[in-house]
Amino acid sequence: MSTGELLRRAIRRHRGRMTVGILLTALHQATEAAVPVTIGIFVDQAVASGELMPLVWCVVMLFALFAVLSNAWKLGARQIVRAIEFETHELRLEIAQRVLDPRGQRTGLRSGELLSIATSDAEKAALVMRALSLGCAAGTALLVSSVSLLLVDVPLGIGVLIGVPLVVLGIQGLSPLLTRRTSTQQEAVAQTTALATDLVGGLRTLRGIGAQHNAAARYRRSSQDTLRATLRAVSTAGLQDGVSIALSGLLLAAVAGVAGWFALNGRISIGELITVVGLAQFIAEPVGTLGYASQVLAGSRASAGRLASVLSSPPLVESGTTTVVDPAQPLLQLDGVSYKTLADVDLTLRPGESVGVLCYDPRDADALLTVVAGRALEYSGAVRVGGTAIDELDIDVLRNTVLLERHETDLFEGTLRTNLLVESPSLERVMTAAGAADLIEELDRPLADRGQALSGGQRQRLGLARALLAEPPLLVLHDPSTAVDAVTEELLAEGLAEVRSGLTTLVLTSSPALLGKMDRVVVLADGAVVTEGAHAELAETDATYQEAVLR
Amino acid sequence: MNLLPIAGPRATWSLLWSEIRKLPVLSIVAAIVITGGSAAGLVAPWALGVLVDDISGGADRSAIVQVVLLIGGAALLTGLLTALGVLLVARVGETVLARIREKVLDRVLQLPAPVLDKVRTGDLLSRVGDDVATVASALTDVGPMLLGAALTIILTVGGLFALDWRLGLAGLLAVPMYIWALRWYLPRSAPFYSQERVAMGERSEAIIASLRGSATVRAYQLEDVQLAKIDATSANARDLSIRVFRYFSFFTSRINHAEFTGLAGILVAGFFLVRADAVTIGAVTAAALYFHRLFNPIGAVLMLFDEVQTAAAGMARLAGVLEMEQITAPPPGAGPADASIELVGIGHAYDGPLVVDGVSLRLEPGERVALVGASGAGKTTLAALAAGVLTPTAGVVKLGGVDVQALGEDRTRAQVALLSQEVHVFSGTLAEDVRLARPEATDAAIEAALETVGALAWVRALPDGLETVVGEEGHQLTGAQSQQLAFARLVLADPPVAVLDEATAEAGSAGARELERASVAATAGRTTLIVAHRLTQAEQADRIVVLDHGRVVETGTHTALLASGGRYAQLWHSWTGFKPGEPGGRTTPANAST
Repeated sequence: MSTGELLRRAIRRHRGRMTVGILLTALHQATEAAVPVTIGIFVDQAVASGELMPLVWCVVMLFALFAVLSNAWKLGARQIVRAIEFETHELRLEIAQRVLDPRGQRTGLRSGELLSIATSDAEKAALVMRALSLGCAAGTALLVSSVSLLLVDVPLGIGVLIGVPLVVLGIQGLSPLLTRRTSTQQEAVAQTTALATDLVGGLRTLRGIGAQHNAAARYRRSSQDTLRATLRAVSTAGLQDGVSIALSGLLLAAVAGVAGWFALNGRISIGELITVVGLAQFIAEPVGTLGYASQVLAGSRASAGRLASVLSSPPLVESGTTTVVDPAQPLLQLDGVSYKTLADVDLTLRPGESVGVLCYDPRDADALLTVVAGRALEYSGAVRVGGTAIDELDIDVLRNTVLLERHETDLFEGTLRTNLLVESPSLERVMTAAGAADLIEELDRPLADRGQALSGGQRQRLGLARALLAEPPLLVLHDPSTAVDAVTEELLAEGLAEVRSGLTTLVLTSSPALLGKMDRVVVLADGAVVTEGAHAELAETDATYQEAVLR
Repeated sequence: MNLLPIAGPRATWSLLWSEIRKLPVLSIVAAIVITGGSAAGLVAPWALGVLVDDISGGADRSAIVQVVLLIGGAALLTGLLTALGVLLVARVGETVLARIREKVLDRVLQLPAPVLDKVRTGDLLSRVGDDVATVASALTDVGPMLLGAALTIILTVGGLFALDWRLGLAGLLAVPMYIWALRWYLPRSAPFYSQERVAMGERSEAIIASLRGSATVRAYQLEDVQLAKIDATSANARDLSIRVFRYFSFFTSRINHAEFTGLAGILVAGFFLVRADAVTIGAVTAAALYFHRLFNPIGAVLMLFDEVQTAAAGMARLAGVLEMEQITAPPPGAGPADASIELVGIGHAYDGPLVVDGVSLRLEPGERVALVGASGAGKTTLAALAAGVLTPTAGVVKLGGVDVQALGEDRTRAQVALLSQEVHVFSGTLAEDVRLARPEATDAAIEAALETVGALAWVRALPDGLETVVGEEGHQLTGAQSQQLAFARLVLADPPVAVLDEATAEAGSAGARELERASVAATAGRTTLIVAHRLTQAEQADRIVVLDHGRVVETGTHTALLASGGRYAQLWHSWTGFKPGEPGGRTTPANAST
């Protein structure tokens, strides 16, 4: 989907609301333009005449004008806002859906960037509708003002209609400079803010080496740089304000001079003089609004571009169509697999077997996990799950067969219980097996901050309990006990072996407690399988292995 | 978990006022210039009124020329004063803001450790981050507009009265209507705005939980659950925004009513005054134009009310940080005599049972002592106490024979560094990160420190070497590399005493070994207290102290403790994965010293 398509679709999706909204806001601008005209008529017809009937009529006219003005905006703007809010919501969901696609996504963006696309860019893209309605309304105001001016006096009207846009354009000549300086200033503010949160985030680290003063000094420098950038931007903004006030004032002087000259000669009435002068002041507004609408549109286009690139990014992997997983075949079979640091790895997990993998290099573990999860691109060799090539397997069947739980446990809003995902009578038994018996009491405790308040060990043990409760045919664990003390680790290793007995389990770890409970251990060094055997045997005979598992 | 304090309006104002008073000349000049600019802006409508009168009075051409020159001259003056005024006001406001944000960060960085442990990190981060940004953007974007609008309103009302007091009164008819509109709107919208903010927070939370945990979402097939959550929270935020806007549209409509009242009031009053020959048509015209000119500034002030309130709330939160009590530096006294640490009868509790109980321990200068124990034994707390980061509830910590309390934060930190389990890579270049430990360090000194901890090779291999941008937005370092940077900072800070509580487990087995080498190199020649997370860390120590439930249960060398068959021997067997007496059980590791 291209940027333009995304924006056009937004308007199309809300065309009913947009039509009503645009018509009403345009009517509002037309009535705003009519206010100075009405003041002129009022003075001319009522105040200058001194008669009561015209006064009554003029008050009625003014009242009617304001009644239309106020209701038109109220009703019209609500329609536009509804359209914008609904579109933002829809865009946000589309992004979330795209990012959470089971097949993965290939945007290459970090979660922070994706969050800002799903929130602020979705909002800004939907503002295309505000830009459109503002543009239409301003256009209408210009049209009404022009007609009114031309009705008063054609040459004077033409003069104003040429003069005002020239002045506005002249003022906007400064805009590129202002935009540049403003964005430099905004970047500076963002950097200073980021520096502050970064330093506070690392406060304990700073305090440990007594570097708070140095950090404060660094922040002060950044803050002063930001101050300078802000003042530069403000000086341009001030200049623009000043020039704009001076130029529009000079234009007003010229219009007043010519209109006054015409009024003196009797070519136009006093009321018409007031109308012309009032309109000359008013007309700068819709011209300015047009400029603003074009800025909003530009911002909306930029955000829509980012949305479109996420929405049209291809999935990371394609889902296969086969749904056959043969229970008699090995649940996982790697045949000469090379991927990233892995070189020609063979690994077979027979049904019911538990295998420990010790990687001397953490990169090998990462590569192996990616392969097993079916998310590896451009690998060589064969990866089979239940006899079927992993790429040909339907993505949901694969996910029902292989479950991967990593050591940095992601938790979600809710309670500990909802995070375990399954209500099962064996809940307590499994939690005890995962070394998380201490958390059974707290199952219904609400989890703040996605569980950030829990210790690393508590999170890991919850993650393990969650994985065990899911009872997948093949469970793959990565370092499930790195944040767990030795005594609990021992319990956890025993519990894991007990709960998974008869099921197939693959554990990537360097923990002797866990490795000791596996049927066999496979050791990877420099991307290749170097040795294989029971933990006790390897620990006895292999010095490198001994050193690696030693805690 | 406590929230940081929020200052009351009075304290907030007095903070602002005290900062503004530090720029007396600039502030006064700024106020005069910006007021002059707004006053000069009143000339045009008044001159137009004169023009109307001149024409109805049948004046000549020269009168028109005068009016034109007056309007033109006033325009140039207004432009000049506005440009200058905006700049001067911004210089005052932005300087004040910069000083306040620097003070706030300084104060946060100096927060005592016990306070730091009690406040929510999120609150702290939002004070120095969001709140500063909110106040800054309000000041820069809204400030000049608001000030200009407010001055224009005040001066225009003055101008109305100067034309004729009765016209002025007629215009003031609008004031109760404006107030009524505001009093109708604010109490109704405020709860919705706060609900809206909460709803937006929940929405972001739902999105970010799904994004950060997307691997887990996929693995457990939670897409539909998470999407439903995002849908629900986003729809809730959307509906609240629409409802808030509904109120806002009623509010705007009430503002229109006020505009009508004022304008009609002036014109009708003008009608009767002109009929009674009390004022001229020109004066009525000028009054009507004055009032019409007020539509935008009044609208701006009312519409910006929300932003002003938000900024005021942010300012109150910043002022709240400055209200927190400061650490008072103790009077200067004798410094540490040597690099020893002595803990005398130390006890510590965090609002509950004692975590450390009656620990006495002395580390001789240059000695390397390892703390060993199961999790929850009090190792981390004891390390923080020894480093003077925590203040013990009982007992005394002495550095080089001097009580830490008498030394004060700065001199304690010069004597002892604590490397905690939190590993943070600071955003910026790698050199800047390491240089935080000693700002005056040259690149050569930084390279030397990196070399000491065995990091120079990979640092040189980075895309831009020392100048590579690291941290959240930059090049992502591995856990082990981040830890090495922490050691390099320690080398550069060069304190005589080091307390290490760093976790090495996640570095993988090969990485952990490298880190141990780095750890030994970084602490060479320093008195070192190390919390042993791995066996080899304990083994390399001169002495091992075994903690259990906050008490010292054993102390001695590795071989002596292993031979005694006590708690350490038990832990050792549990660590190595072999039961005592099993064939695999060893009494000394094969290659432990490598």
